[in-house]
Amino acid sequence: MNYRFDWSVLWSGQSGGWLLQGLLTTLEIAALGWLIAVALGVLSGALRTVPLALLRWLATGYVEFFRNVPLLVWMFFWYFGVPPLLPQAVRDWLFDHGAEFWAAVFALGVYHGARFSEVIRAGIQSIPKTQLEAALSTGLTIAQAYRLIILPIALRLIIPPATNETLNLIKNSSVALTIGVAELTFQTRQIETYTAKAFEALAAGTVIYLMLCLTIATLMARIERRVAIPGMIAQGQSGVA
Amino acid sequence: MKRSLIVLVFALATSISVVGAETTLEKIDKSGTLVIGTRTGSPPFGYVNKNNEWGGFSIDLVEKAILPALSKKLNKPIKLEKKESAPATRIPLLQSNTVDLIAETMTDTQARRDQVDFSLTFFVTGAQFLVKKGTPIKGIESIAGKRVAAQQGSTNARIIRERAPNAKLVEFPDQPAAFQALAQGQVQAYTNDGIQLAGLKVKAPKPDAWAVVGEFFSYEPYGMAMRKNESDFRQVVNVGLMDAIASGLYFEIYDKWFGPKGELPYPLTAESKRFLQMQVVPK
Repeated sequence: MNYRFDWSVLWSGQSGGWLLQGLLTTLEIAALGWLIAVALGVLSGALRTVPLALLRWLATGYVEFFRNVPLLVWMFFWYFGVPPLLPQAVRDWLFDHGAEFWAAVFALGVYHGARFSEVIRAGIQSIPKTQLEAALSTGLTIAQAYRLIILPIALRLIIPPATNETLNLIKNSSVALTIGVAELTFQTRQIETYTAKAFEALAAGTVIYLMLCLTIATLMARIERRVAIPGMIAQGQSGVA
Repeated sequence: MKRSLIVLVFALATSISVVGAETTLEKIDKSGTLVIGTRTGSPPFGYVNKNNEWGGFSIDLVEKAILPALSKKLNKPIKLEKKESAPATRIPLLQSNTVDLIAETMTDTQARRDQVDFSLTFFVTGAQFLVKKGTPIKGIESIAGKRVAAQQGSTNARIIRERAPNAKLVEFPDQPAAFQALAQGQVQAYTNDGIQLAGLKVKAPKPDAWAVVGEFFSYEPYGMAMRKNESDFRQVVNVGLMDAIASGLYFEIYDKWFGPKGELPYPLTAESKRFLQMQVVPK
């Protein structure tokens, strides 16, 4: 084919600045979404294992509802579906202060929260039941046993699958461009619009996502080794527990 | 959105494997098919109507003016195949040989001419704003501080960014999302080429609730795009269009879509008509 690659479009003009802006926006929505996702995930994941049926049902309902609807639909839901339910003044304020940004954060957070929840539940269920029984027999309440014994162990066990979920969340943040958030993928298209160089722009975006995800994977692997409890799990080197 | 990304990746993958490419005319001759990229949501140029039929002004021009010219040149009947294209995907679709011609609402620009070649201009419009009737927005001079929607990858977004840097620009991947945002108040105005806004207004549930406002703040000559340096193919496309303008066929098609009884009444100005006719060179 007669395509002439011209990589200079990536650093000439405004392209560099756009990519940086896009990267920052991606990091912002991903970080805020991640905080929501982890908070919801830990809460609902823990609730799914407690001996109280009502709480288990509630948590199960949340997980099944939110993880089984596509993320794109959640983006539209938070951006187009929620605002009409709010009073006019709140709505106008929101629209003037980046409604699309917050819609993306909530969509990512709530959707991935449901997925994190399963990861955390699996972590908790992999801990022998005797741990909880032992904790309770020392006089701790169920809440204390979860907070002081079960969750600290579970959170260590789930670092590899949680890394997976985190990387998914970062990459899924690109869906936010459908509601007009100027994140990284959006900016690569912007470069394409100005320069008509689609392959270069897309390649730049790909490399940035790759570097970002590799950095986070490395960081999480390091944390995993650091917090491992000797004797409880293999210390992250062999990958075999 | 996902689909266009997949197309882009696919385009990237195939583009690497294509070596020793044949010319577009050879490709069409071999397959007996002209593959065009066009829109599904830009009435009346390329869109899917209530009866789920995919058609429009740009598609009609290809079917009635360009296909006959191609059949004549290649001495055999040529079929038409339509694929969906969007601002972000149309150039890659061409460059990867996925489609042979972009026939939709693509503005001919100098930057794009570095990447693709254009046919002669087949429609002329300019950017305006669609607003709720009665809002104070009167044109590009009154949008500072306002929330304005535009389509991702369009020339309009670029001009707003340059000429009205104080406007809060939100860019959507397609018309329906941008119009939804306008209807709900996420944005106060939506900018696009005037003719497309007029199309949206007509198709809206309550057309009278909307107004297209402002002078044209850009010049948007629509052309059909094709791969670069394919002068044989370009000649066939241009001859098809020129013959249609000279014979009056173009104006019949125009009337079908933009005439008083058309999808979108939008009379052709004497100036535009003269401009189209002056592009026709003698036989």
